[in-house]
Amino acid sequence: MKLVIPEAKRIWDLPIRVFHWLLVSAFILAWLTQGEDRYLDIHVFAGYLILGLFLFRIGWGFWGSHYACFNSFACGWRSVWRYLTILLTPQRQHFIGHNPIGGWAILLILGLGLVVTLTGLLTLGGEEQHGPLAGLISFAWGDIGHECHEILAWLMLGLIGIHIAGVLVESRLHQENLIKAMITGYKNTSTEDTASVANHSRLAISLILVVLSSGGSYFYGYFTQTAEHPYLPFIGPQLPDNATWREVCGECHLAYHPTLLPARSWQRLLNEQHQHFEEDLDLDAETLAELRQFASDNAAETHLTEPAWQIEQTTPLNQAPLRITATAYWQEQHEEIPKQIWQHPLVKFKGHCNACHLDAEQGTFEDAAMRLPQHSDFSQLSTKPH
Amino acid sequence: MNKYLMICGMMLLPLAYSHSVLATAAVDELLAEYRSAGATEFSVEAGNTLWLQEFQDAQSGKMRQCATCHTDNLRNPGKHARTGKPIEPLATSVNPKSLTDIKKIRKWLKRNCKWTIGRECTPQEKGNVLTFIQTQ
Ligand code: HEC
Ligand code: HEC
Ligand code: HEC
Repeated sequence: MKLVIPEAKRIWDLPIRVFHWLLVSAFILAWLTQGEDRYLDIHVFAGYLILGLFLFRIGWGFWGSHYACFNSFACGWRSVWRYLTILLTPQRQHFIGHNPIGGWAILLILGLGLVVTLTGLLTLGGEEQHGPLAGLISFAWGDIGHECHEILAWLMLGLIGIHIAGVLVESRLHQENLIKAMITGYKNTSTEDTASVANHSRLAISLILVVLSSGGSYFYGYFTQTAEHPYLPFIGPQLPDNATWREVCGECHLAYHPTLLPARSWQRLLNEQHQHFEEDLDLDAETLAELRQFASDNAAETHLTEPAWQIEQTTPLNQAPLRITATAYWQEQHEEIPKQIWQHPLVKFKGHCNACHLDAEQGTFEDAAMRLPQHSDFSQLSTKPH
Repeated sequence: MNKYLMICGMMLLPLAYSHSVLATAAVDELLAEYRSAGATEFSVEAGNTLWLQEFQDAQSGKMRQCATCHTDNLRNPGKHARTGKPIEPLATSVNPKSLTDIKKIRKWLKRNCKWTIGRECTPQEKGNVLTFIQTQ
């Protein structure tokens, strides 16, 4: 038998390694920011990044270097079975690139990842009316997309768990550090006909530059914002406005946009105008008629915004709450806010929405437009008279 | 030379006072109204006293006064005690828009007296308090 000295060969080219670790970071970022409305913009960016990385990976799976190509590791279930049955015996097969299960894991993660990001776009378009699908799908479909998005994301996390477990097992069984190989690109091999692949470093650098520059332009607003003009990552739709409403209902507090309560609530509130939370609004008939019209034309039933849709859906028809803060939806959205915040001198009153929501005046209540008042950039904002 | 200065000064005088002149126009009209409703001489002193007087709310038992929202220095911006909304200073010397709109003054005096004192103010009280605010 001829003695072969194991030699380090480059198996993973630079684009694959950059792709792999960018994907890991993007996935962690997406996971850390999920469910936090305040950080929705970061979550969405991570999603776009993942989608972009997957599209790149699919392309590289056809035109990339040898071990990156799908046809180098895609295989039928027979090969998987064979690989598994002899895995724990000394005859086990050793693959320099992806082994059959590893290959399947890559393809599954790719496929699942695409579906996760697409359902994410569905959620963004339906629930928030942002992104490429805005205006094309209803809130209800957005909600369904959201459910799927969450379930699929958990499935993907499970798959990633299996992938990591597989890597650890393989590393042990074959006495090689696969994690290190994904960093350096090199593996030791004694097979003579294994050749190093090209590094394609220029492509990898372009990949990094594209990611950095799109990140820079996506988050540019944060660098140029001032205390007076804080950056709002999502700008909501321009809602119908009425000067009388804004003036009369904005005298003592924020002029709440009618989208925030159902029409029956506004009618009740205006009917009881002489006992408006202990205040007498004392409106004349003409003003009252105008306010009534504006309120019922733009109440929650119009579904002009996500909160409108949610409030309309979750308020029982036999109830006409006088307070936005008494609706189930509002309470659910704010239940995690600590007590001290409500007693903060800048907040005090729950209906002081503009103490935390930068777009409360416009009535859009977009995600990522809320700041809790301990933030220093905020203190000047909420006390500014309009 | 002196003549010119004097003429310029004379021109400037009404301009400098134009804001408070406007304010008095609205207040004067109201004061006349209150007088014909039976009020007598208005007193800054009595206005000041009313401003600082504390009234107990029958329901909550809490003390209320005009200063609850407007603070006791009328030149400072106030803050709505219940909703936190900022209120511009009432003193005409720092807020030229204050006391210029007769409808607005009527509306707020009615509302604020009702909430603070628990009843509408009498013409005498309204006249006193407006006279007091004007001196601030
Ligand atoms: C004279 C002052 C005043 C005016 C004018 C006024 N409000 Fe109010 N409003 C209040 C006060 C005070 C509260 C209750 C604050 C509290 O709960 O401590 C309130 C509460 C509300 C709430 C409940 C907020 C919540 O969710 O807790 C709504 C809704 C509301 N007002 C709507 C209106 C509308 C619509 C108009 C115009 C027709 C209007 N208000 C005009 C003083 C006013
Ligand atoms: C003390 C600060 C604070 C006040 C005051 C406040 N909010 Fe919020 N609000 C928040 C925070 C923080 C969130 C995000 C919660 C989360 O991440 O799930 C939020 C979430 C929301 C959402 C959900 C946004 C979305 O698209 O998912 C709506 C709608 C909303 N608030 C409306 C209101 C209205 C209307 C008022 C006034 C009646 C109000 N808020 C008052 C802090 C506040
Ligand atoms: C609950 C809070 C509150 C209390 C208490 C209160 N005010 Fe006011 N007051 C307001 C608000 C809000 C305005 C409107 C400010 C604005 O829109 O510029 C106002 C306006 C006024 C104005 C009209 C100012 C103008 O620009 O023409 C007068 C006069 C006034 N208040 C007098 C009083 C007097 C007198 C008392 C005590 C009897 C009192 N207020 C108590 C909240 C209050």
